[in-house]
Amino acid sequence: MNCQQFQEVLPYIIESGGKPEEEQHLEGCAACSALVEDLRYIAEQAKLLLPMHDPNPRVWNNIEQSLHREGLLPATEGRMSLTGHLTKTSTQAKNWTPLGWALALTAVILFAVALNNYTTRQLPSGRFSAQNVPADPATNMDGDDQQLIAQVAKDDPGARGAYENSLREVNSYISDAERAARQDPDDPYARELLQQAYEQKEMLYQMATARSLP
Amino acid sequence: MNLFPTNATVEPAQISRSTLRLAITGFTLTFFAATANAADVRKEAKLELAPGGNITIVNGSGSVALRSAFSGRQVVVAYTTHSDKVEVDLNTTADKQRVELRTHAIAGQKPTPDEAKVDFEVAVPPGAVVNVNTVSAPVTAEGISGDITLSSESGQIEVHNMAKSHLHIRSMNAAVSLTGINTTHVDVSSNGGPVHMSNVVGPRVVVGTTSGNVDYRGDCSGGGDYIFTTHSGEIDMWLPKSASVEFSAHTRTGSVENEFPLEEKPHPNLPQSQGRSFAGTSNSGSSSVELDSINGKIRVKKQ
Repeated sequence: MNCQQFQEVLPYIIESGGKPEEEQHLEGCAACSALVEDLRYIAEQAKLLLPMHDPNPRVWNNIEQSLHREGLLPATEGRMSLTGHLTKTSTQAKNWTPLGWALALTAVILFAVALNNYTTRQLPSGRFSAQNVPADPATNMDGDDQQLIAQVAKDDPGARGAYENSLREVNSYISDAERAARQDPDDPYARELLQQAYEQKEMLYQMATARSLP
Repeated sequence: MNLFPTNATVEPAQISRSTLRLAITGFTLTFFAATANAADVRKEAKLELAPGGNITIVNGSGSVALRSAFSGRQVVVAYTTHSDKVEVDLNTTADKQRVELRTHAIAGQKPTPDEAKVDFEVAVPPGAVVNVNTVSAPVTAEGISGDITLSSESGQIEVHNMAKSHLHIRSMNAAVSLTGINTTHVDVSSNGGPVHMSNVVGPRVVVGTTSGNVDYRGDCSGGGDYIFTTHSGEIDMWLPKSASVEFSAHTRTGSVENEFPLEEKPHPNLPQSQGRSFAGTSNSGSSSVELDSINGKIRVKKQ
């Protein structure tokens, strides 16, 4: 099974688990593994969109009275208009059914898959950056890197060069390690190098952040 | 007219002038020496620390030297400032679980790089958790134990004689040197700085660099995992003939060299590529050594 075949059945895998063949591909492919992890995270976050409980009616009364006192609420609209409007919104939120949630979740997953495929086609291989933002080919740095360097240089202009060089080197490391992992998805050493490359970049960001602390 | 008299009558005046010159020179040197050190202020403090407590040291430039404390409950701190534009905050929490030493510029002051330097000497109780963070200050640790994290952008990091500890080192461009480390978990991450290890032994020794070279000298037999990775740095290992090690070395576009006769594994993880990888066991293979690079050279040699 290759990555394209795997991603075609991805929504099914997320919702009801995968077959042994798909599990095997997942274990050997860092890219698909990361994608599934992202989608599961999205799915987990989607569960947090549960309907909220209404606050006590006294809260609405107090708000309404405050708005009347401030002259922000016309007298003709009266009490029912405010409470009625707010309650209606809340009631709508409670009307979500399991089917509705399933459809929403499926839509999110399909959107994520489409987004992933779209990005893959747009960027040539070997040009992925750490933050999914295209790197500037001239400097081999993405927007986050440039922002980091600007922040470091603002506090200590002398440190700019060292951070620029280090980020350029580590981005080259990540780029090469990603290429190696793509060429040999089953190579555990390639995955180890990729992990190390990202840890190197994380270290640089932590050092730069530590500088800005009081 | 004799414009350059050489008679004896001028001698007393010459001697007197020479003496005066000497005195003036001496006075001037003494004055400059005194003013140069006028701003140097050394202070000492003793801070209580609960067993296993945390010591944090933040010092941009200057130096940090750590050594083992005689007392198990006290952090002994001595520091020297070289300007009145910086100060050191010494803080201890009420429960004695945390001690923090932090250098900072006094509000409204802009010290020069030399004025900003502070030199720390800290005696650390055994078993403490120590975090040192510097920008250019070199860090030296001698004979301490505990959970030690040393981080510096460009200050050299040296650790000697450590045992039964956890050692984490992070360096951007600074050289890292470890000597005489035993039964210690070691984790070194260096971007461009070289990492030198001599007699470093532990259950897990992990070193990763981007372009920094890695070299190891000693006998890592004894059951540990040794993992060295780099992008473009070179990895060199010098081991005794008797080393009991299972090797696995791979490079993408670099090269590998090995002087040890190896017994091949019956089921290697990956097919071996001539000049780009080797794997096998030397003696009984009690320790595992994994060496990986993208395009750096890997060399394993006999001591």
